[in-house]
Amino acid sequence: MTSNVDTSVATSVAMSLRNVGVSFDGKSAVGGVTFDVARNRVTSMIGPSGSGKTTLLRALNRLHDLNASAKVTGEILLDGEDIYARSVSTTELRSRIGMVFQRPNPFPSMSIYDNVAAGLRFNGIKKKSLIDEAVESSLRVSALWDEVQNRLDVMASNLSGGQQQRLCIARALAIGPEILLMDEPTASLDPISTSQIEELMGTLTKYTTVIIVTHNMQQAARVSDDCAFLLMDEDRAGKLIEFAPTQKIFNNPDDERTLDYINGRFG
Amino acid sequence: MSNTATYTELSEETRAEIRRVSDAKRQGRLVRSSIMKVLAPLALLFAAVPLISLLVNLISKGGRYLAHWSFYSQVPSSPSLFSESSIGGVSTAITGSLLIVLCAAVLSVPIGVTAGVYLAENETRLAKVLRVIASTMSGAPSVLMGLFAIGFLVVTLKIQASAFDGAVALAILMLPVITIATEIAVRNVPSTYREAGLALGAKKARVSMKVIIPAARSAIMSAILLAIARAVGETAPIVFVIGGVAKTTLNPFNPVQALPALLYSDIGSPYPALRNEAWGIGLLLVLFVFVLSFTARLWSARAARKFS
Amino acid sequence: MLQTNASTEVASATSVERSLYSTVLTFCAGLFTLIALLFVGNLVWRAWPILSRQPLTLVTGTSWGGTIGSYGAWPQIFGTLQTSVGAVIIAVIAGLGTSISIVYLIPQRVKLITITLVELLAAVPSIVYGCWGFLILGPYMTKYVDPALAHLPFAKYWLGNPNLYTTQSVLLGIFVLAVMVLPTFVAISREVIASVPNDLIEASYSLGGSWWQTMSKVVLPASKIGIFGAASLALARAAGETVAILFIIGGFGGVQTHLLYPGSTLAAWIASQFGEATTSGIAALMAMGVLLMIINFLLAIISRRMLAAQRRRMARV
Repeated sequence: MTSNVDTSVATSVAMSLRNVGVSFDGKSAVGGVTFDVARNRVTSMIGPSGSGKTTLLRALNRLHDLNASAKVTGEILLDGEDIYARSVSTTELRSRIGMVFQRPNPFPSMSIYDNVAAGLRFNGIKKKSLIDEAVESSLRVSALWDEVQNRLDVMASNLSGGQQQRLCIARALAIGPEILLMDEPTASLDPISTSQIEELMGTLTKYTTVIIVTHNMQQAARVSDDCAFLLMDEDRAGKLIEFAPTQKIFNNPDDERTLDYINGRFG
Repeated sequence: MSNTATYTELSEETRAEIRRVSDAKRQGRLVRSSIMKVLAPLALLFAAVPLISLLVNLISKGGRYLAHWSFYSQVPSSPSLFSESSIGGVSTAITGSLLIVLCAAVLSVPIGVTAGVYLAENETRLAKVLRVIASTMSGAPSVLMGLFAIGFLVVTLKIQASAFDGAVALAILMLPVITIATEIAVRNVPSTYREAGLALGAKKARVSMKVIIPAARSAIMSAILLAIARAVGETAPIVFVIGGVAKTTLNPFNPVQALPALLYSDIGSPYPALRNEAWGIGLLLVLFVFVLSFTARLWSARAARKFS
Repeated sequence: MLQTNASTEVASATSVERSLYSTVLTFCAGLFTLIALLFVGNLVWRAWPILSRQPLTLVTGTSWGGTIGSYGAWPQIFGTLQTSVGAVIIAVIAGLGTSISIVYLIPQRVKLITITLVELLAAVPSIVYGCWGFLILGPYMTKYVDPALAHLPFAKYWLGNPNLYTTQSVLLGIFVLAVMVLPTFVAISREVIASVPNDLIEASYSLGGSWWQTMSKVVLPASKIGIFGAASLALARAAGETVAILFIIGGFGGVQTHLLYPGSTLAAWIASQFGEATTSGIAALMAMGVLLMIINFLLAIISRRMLAAQRRRMARV
């Protein structure tokens, strides 16, 4: 469990995980995870299915609060403050940490414009010029603007799968979150849409910090700067095996299990 | 888009303003959300109170009638304006209801189930028409069935007020319900059943009769039970045509009483004893309907499990 | 030729079986259709003397029979709209709050009991609701609610003179119908609301939305069509109710604008007038039945279209 901070470039830390664990009804799903997420970089979490990557990701924006049987232990520090502290307002937290889901999920009763504006409107922003600016800039950043600028009031369900996912990325970006969580965002998309979104991630780091869960390790190798490898233990709980810059993980990992996974010895 | 400027990325001022406005508005919307989190269960409570009052009154006021065997065995007798008891029982209404509903089932089940199977297996013009007819009729106000009973059976066919008239009215009520539910039941049988039968060389009709319909049996029975449960409680179709004579009979062409009709006259009765008895009849009806519905649900759950 | 004598026999035996099967099926389907036509036809035919003579005044007229001899159903049409629309408005507001609470707020253990209870209440015969309404709610309203309502602003205009309040009133009818259609509405709308995909809700929260914002901006809009379908179903049921409202509303033959005075509805009027009707009176009541049938037919079509559209929408997402 090495936490490797590249000291040659002074990157600051966007989010810190300290011994984080998630359990459901007392049974641990993932435990003892510690690493730092560097600001304005892409950090990926890889590992075979069942290793707890998605469960861990959802703890980062307190999505497990919606589940009565879930319990999160450890500390998750955003700007030095534990996001699970009593004084933290979850609605404020979630406006600073955005999320994109595995399947594109635009709101079906809203148009493209309204979907992207949804986060802004939820947060009480009403000024049209402000919303216009945020909608346009996030659609541009998500590389969707050119395709939809003339039909912003069309229902979101009319877009293709890849377009819908880019819409969801724009929707999450519109409120300017510090961190963007992505849960296997290209898993349900065709190869062309997948590569479009992968290209996108490079530009995203200009505006935010990306944490992405992916079961496709080649994708992790292509898009991420740092990589966390998780694996399910004998007691069926996920554990962090190694955290290092992506280069290191894929070329000379410290742990043998990491090497085995990279070489496809198990999936 | 209002102005001509193009935005490529969120500027610092915009980000700051978004932060500022959202921080300012946050408290307000969280308060609003908490208020609604209280109002919604209040609506639940508001809805629950009258319904619970209904159940409580039924059980407390009606329970004492159901506890006595005389309620079921004795014939209704004339009450006095002053006494609260000794009004006899409702035996003739129970037997009357059973006779009417049984006849209604005999009339409606064969036609309804068969028509339902037809709908499940055919896409002819007749099928499309029938489907529209069935779904329209299943929501029709039950008083119209009463009008039909009077207009056709009594006046045209000159059949005297009897259980039969009530049975026909109820049969018309039950027909669409049974047909629609049977069509659904048959369509729910997985297509693999039919494919397997056809693959063994049997013809379509044989596969239907020997494989599909038996497989849908539980669901169809459940549908019939639900239709009966509905028919037992209906008042408007039968109250004017069954005759209201307090005699138990097996001949459907004799006049009879029925539980809902007796309940109807009890509610409006000047005698307090009969108004109290109304609760007993009401509870009896509700229990009967509950038992039938519960059994129907069990059977349809069994059918669903078989196919999963 | 692979067919032997034996298999020809089997084949023809099964073809007799086959044609018998499809004949029986088609016969019953046809019989059902004929019965339906007979049902509608008998009603229309018996109503014909009135329908042909005075189709327009049937709908617009306000007097029933009497010396004039013409029959106008407008007071009953008005009363049916009054009571059923009023009942559905109350049922939808209370019902949506109830459905949302059941799906999102009440604890898991209580949920199953509540859902079963709601479905069983939806099966309670309407005459039992009439019994409760007349014997329990009516006296309660007369004693406690009506006097309190008399203090509302402009009460004299829309409620009536407090000294003349009656036990049987339009408002009582609205309440009893609302209670009656509530379980059915909740049963359907709860299912619709519960089937909103979970990831839409997670997306809403992830954007920083509050609970109520998620409900009002995501869940309810996604369920909109289904809820509308459930509401029209409730409206159809309320409009056709006879015995639940018969004892409750009073049978006043005119247009009733004061809610705490008695009124009438189409179904209740038919049931109550039947005993003493003359021949032409019976025809008029049949005509009223035709009106009721048409109204119910339109409402039923609307609700079925809505519910089917909702099902399609959910399948696509």
